[in-house]
Amino acid sequence: MAVVSIKNKLRRGNLLVGNDPYIPTDFESIATTTVGSTSVANIEFTSIASTYTHLQIRLINLSSSAGTNLELRFNSDTGNNYDTHWLYGSGSSATAGAATNLDYVWAAGAGSSTAPAGVVVDILDYRNTNKYKTVRTLGGYDTNGGGYIYFTSGLWRNTNAITSLKITCNANFNQYSQVALYGIKVAS
Amino acid sequence: MAITYEPIATTTLGSAQSSVTFSSISGSYTDIILVINAKANTGTANIVWEVNSDTGTNYSYTYVNAEPGGVTASGRASSTASPYLNFYGYLDTTWGNWIAHFMNYSNTTTYKSVLARFNNSNNGTGANVGLWRSTSAITQIKIKTSANNFDTGSTFTLYGIKAA
Amino acid sequence: MANTYTAIATVTVGAGGASTIEFTSIPATYTDLYVLLSLRDNRASTSGDNVKVTFNSDTSSVYSYRLLYGDGSSAGSASGSSEAQTRIQYASADNQTASTFGSLNMYVPNYTSSNAKSISSEGASENNATEAYMGLTAGLWNPATQAAITSIKFAPYNGTNWKQYSTATLYGIKNS
Repeated sequence: MAVVSIKNKLRRGNLLVGNDPYIPTDFESIATTTVGSTSVANIEFTSIASTYTHLQIRLINLSSSAGTNLELRFNSDTGNNYDTHWLYGSGSSATAGAATNLDYVWAAGAGSSTAPAGVVVDILDYRNTNKYKTVRTLGGYDTNGGGYIYFTSGLWRNTNAITSLKITCNANFNQYSQVALYGIKVAS
Repeated sequence: MAITYEPIATTTLGSAQSSVTFSSISGSYTDIILVINAKANTGTANIVWEVNSDTGTNYSYTYVNAEPGGVTASGRASSTASPYLNFYGYLDTTWGNWIAHFMNYSNTTTYKSVLARFNNSNNGTGANVGLWRSTSAITQIKIKTSANNFDTGSTFTLYGIKAA
Repeated sequence: MANTYTAIATVTVGAGGASTIEFTSIPATYTDLYVLLSLRDNRASTSGDNVKVTFNSDTSSVYSYRLLYGDGSSAGSASGSSEAQTRIQYASADNQTASTFGSLNMYVPNYTSSNAKSISSEGASENNATEAYMGLTAGLWNPATQAAITSIKFAPYNGTNWKQYSTATLYGIKNS
């Protein structure tokens, strides 16, 4: 049985001289991309630091075609090394499904040109070389008469540490779309 | 170093009431997470959100949920003045929680999307995406019941997440 | 300034596995608890496995849950009440693709309050095949005498052991 007894782990401080140094939280911003006036198909984060244990992506996406795929790929792997599963609400029914041996993980459907998709992606143990990489996503968009709410997951069948990730929108990330990458630490 | 994840405000009800309002929300974050831990003082109610005192039919939402009786369902409401954070997974006299992500809430260029999880083990769980059709920055969030009140001890907390 | 989001403790299951993962002596310093779990157990199944969750070593019939799930083909729901544990879903099981671990979270607001404790969780098991369970869960711990959560135990629902390399990290979230 794995049991961890926890010592009181308080970290307090401010920047006044003589006080303890300020210690950041264990949830940190790594990088952010905001799309300018020219839409783009891909947003990529490279040279991802090995400082963290988990990653979280938080994004909004505006595109030219609502519902188009938002796809994730890792370490420039474009082979059929990905699987994905989904559970979503279409506004009329709850649907589950799967697709295997894809060249991407499906994260969610894109937003429309005015109704942004909001998506939160969690990738746990992204540097662990004993594990394939499991992705878990909550996202969706509503267009006032249409839209979907998604819960999706994916598997990248590779034990390499993730050092880069690319998010592709098949209908492009339009201006004002934003993708933010966060790192989460574990207890030392 | 900039703080990425920090509390903005919190309210714990000392008596039953029908709404809680967070005003003058700083625009310095990227996303806001609202965490509600609550139950009704009596009966049942849906949890309704409203921003910037907009009581017009400028809201809509799509949901998927598990309901009593082993039922799964999805639905939506459009052009409503009362967007729910739930559908089933509504407030009743069982303690539940509702977690809502107001994504990119402070930008002045896009409509605003809200991703929510709703959790009441007694009547339902699921997820919901809402839309506020305004490009204004969200500076006020009001959470209210569709009927009855939030009970004493219910808590409402805003956290800010700041992207680099 | 107190840290809002703090990793309190991390468990990594070693060689030989572990029948449970437990966090004990949880301080009352925070407001909410958040757990991130990467789990695989020894259930001989291709679908995944639920995770039993108990608090403060309480195994009396004071837990309930309601869940929405997908199995790769269809959506479903289930619930339970007056049970000896609540549950979250899904860990990967032993007949799912090798080296694959389910990804789960669990959020418990106001864990030191004198009210019943509600839970929000999402999780997915994954598999290089159509069948893999995933889902959203609401849980509740409602003992006759309410208490702050000081320990949390995670155990396989159908399996008997967490596999090596399974991990769990407990975070404290502070509201001020």
